[in-house]
Amino acid sequence: MPEGKLCNKKPVSTREELDALLADSNGRQYYAEMEQLDVDSDALWATIQKTMKSRLKTWLEICAHCGLCADSCFLYTVNEKDPTQVPSYKIQSTLGEIVRRKGKVSNEFMRMCMDTAWSKCTCCNRCGTYCPYGIDMGVMFSYLRGLLHSQGFVPWELKIGSGMHRLFRAQMDVTVEDFVDTCQWMVEEAQEEWPCLEIPIDKEDADIVYMINAREAKHYPEDIVEAAILFHIAGENWTMPSVGWEMTSLAMFAGDWEACKMQVETIYSAMERLRPKRMVATECGHAYRATVIEGPYWAGRPDGKPPVECIHYVEWVAEALETGKLKIDPTKKIKEPVTVQDSCNYVRNAGLRECTRIIMKHIAEDFREMAPCKEHNYCCGGGGGFNGIGRYRKQRNIALKMKREQILATGAKLVVAPCHNCWDAIRDLEEEYQIGIKWSFLKPLLIKMVEVPPHLRPEE
Amino acid sequence: MFKKILFATSGSPCCDAAARVAFDMAVRYDAELFVFHVLGVPSRGFSHIVVDVRTGEKVELDADYIAWVQDELKNTYDRQLRSGARCSIEAVVGIPHREILRKARQEDVDIIVMGASTTGCEGDSDAYPKHFAGSTLQRVAKASKAPVLVVNRPAASFWGGFTNIVFGADFSRASEYAFQFALKTARELGAKLHVFHAVDIESQHGLMSQQEIDDRMLEARDRIRRKYLLQAKGYPHINADVWEGIPYVEIVKYARERQADLIVMAHHSRETSDASLGRTLEQVLLRASCPVVSVNRPDKVVDNE
Repeated sequence: MPEGKLCNKKPVSTREELDALLADSNGRQYYAEMEQLDVDSDALWATIQKTMKSRLKTWLEICAHCGLCADSCFLYTVNEKDPTQVPSYKIQSTLGEIVRRKGKVSNEFMRMCMDTAWSKCTCCNRCGTYCPYGIDMGVMFSYLRGLLHSQGFVPWELKIGSGMHRLFRAQMDVTVEDFVDTCQWMVEEAQEEWPCLEIPIDKEDADIVYMINAREAKHYPEDIVEAAILFHIAGENWTMPSVGWEMTSLAMFAGDWEACKMQVETIYSAMERLRPKRMVATECGHAYRATVIEGPYWAGRPDGKPPVECIHYVEWVAEALETGKLKIDPTKKIKEPVTVQDSCNYVRNAGLRECTRIIMKHIAEDFREMAPCKEHNYCCGGGGGFNGIGRYRKQRNIALKMKREQILATGAKLVVAPCHNCWDAIRDLEEEYQIGIKWSFLKPLLIKMVEVPPHLRPEE
Repeated sequence: MFKKILFATSGSPCCDAAARVAFDMAVRYDAELFVFHVLGVPSRGFSHIVVDVRTGEKVELDADYIAWVQDELKNTYDRQLRSGARCSIEAVVGIPHREILRKARQEDVDIIVMGASTTGCEGDSDAYPKHFAGSTLQRVAKASKAPVLVVNRPAASFWGGFTNIVFGADFSRASEYAFQFALKTARELGAKLHVFHAVDIESQHGLMSQQEIDDRMLEARDRIRRKYLLQAKGYPHINADVWEGIPYVEIVKYARERQADLIVMAHHSRETSDASLGRTLEQVLLRASCPVVSVNRPDKVVDNE
């Protein structure tokens, strides 16, 4: 069968197509169709010739198969040092083979590649840090995901996810009206406790434009109002765009580069329209990577930068604490042992390793580092889309073991996780292994301990 | 008065008493009733696995599952559905309190009807032995614009409409909204309204002298007259009482004595952390044998005329 009804080479372009995918329970029909999907070898080879640049060619060529990358990969370690989990093996046996065979590969081979690309690599890029040649399997797996996506071999949830971005410019079906109404609703809820609180929408020339993860608008809009309260206390002149507020990219996890471009261009045009001095990104790792680190290249921006300066939430908090915009009541600091999860996407892949340490210095009495940490930290176990793919749930649960051991070794009872994926993975880790920990984003912790200037307090 | 009623249910036996009241109200006041159930928490990011709120099990979300849950709700409320209420049944995915509040906002409902708690009360339809209200109720009560009617005890019923309303007065700002709701309800339904305050003799350090108790009771009577009775503008079926004791016990006792079929109280969001209800309201709604309304905001209470 050349193309299935649900599983095919065409990305989602209409609401009907999206609904048909959503109606397919657990992707059963989708994966059944995938077994029959033809591989268009000519198109695959043409794509490789057109898009595979010298860096990847060189990496594939010079990899000495020395295996020094093995121990850098947490999936290799938690899977009892299975040789098929060695990063160089994983990429050579998939992308390497496709290139060597000039795209002439079978359906079965492509499905093996899909399973490898989405369940044996989270694109955390840790292997690249340890390879003596600097070969980064995470980057190569991202490229492989793109090839697989172009041929229709992509996990069901991620086809839906990138389809959502194409239709709604958000990973959830949140429309502009829904989003603006949610902001208004949240302000109304909070105004009794926070008089004069605002979530300014589409305000031009503000100091900050704040952008979020669509899950906040859809499922826990308290997160939006918590950000508003902290901006309010800090006295920031800020806004949110009615269009272009969502900065995550499931399309990046899916390897749907066209949708990545569509998504990030929507965000950049919001920046250009509102002309803020800078953008603050919510507590999300992959959203930051997609919008700030990778996005400029998808959008073809010549300077490799977004239209305005972009900072992650941990940078804003660290700055606000250091400059005194936010002051912590010393009696309310976290007393219990606490550790912090370094998100691969904004620590290893964007260099923001010190911000969370500055924050912990202000808010915690007993901060304990994981070992290893900072740019050497391990992926939470749920990155790169791993958290959300039902087909690989078993493998994902095994992947959580490394973080379990790291957290247990610190003795911490609370894990601060300023990243949605990490937060999810640590929550799942507690559910799966019950090690007796709590987990939190920064915002609710800060609101409990920040000093509120008298003029912002409600009237008695 | 009640044109739109939102009955937020977990579908468990803990909500049976609330269901009776919600359906009875819908029929009696010819209101539109939304039977609303949050079936699962989308705890897996963008995946389609949700955690069923009743069983705690992970389920694959699809149209069949949602339809099955809706059928289950129809079976659960089969008898009530035959009562003739104008009713729709909806099951959605989300964080329960957030989706209940979202629905209440979308439909601009006049009142939300809920049970007190579900977790841990399977097989025991009463939250009373646990001495605390459910987190969903607490969060809904804190943020809801509409009054929240809590029906906890299985004994609670609604045979003749609201005819005897007890308003638990505490003189706070939220209490003013609660009074206006109580008065408005009493006026529209022709019910008796009993304004009641219990002087708290427990929270003092050491024993209170009788003189002090008497003085505080006098003061409370005076405040009730100035703050509430004057507002009633000659509504004939209103009276006031002040007792002394532990407030939640006295309110429950007083309601029982007056054969109240509704207690109205304020919920003080600012005084509490983590959305917990004030202690007195929480204890009253868990113990009272009649429905208890928690009022926190003026939106559905104050007339804009």
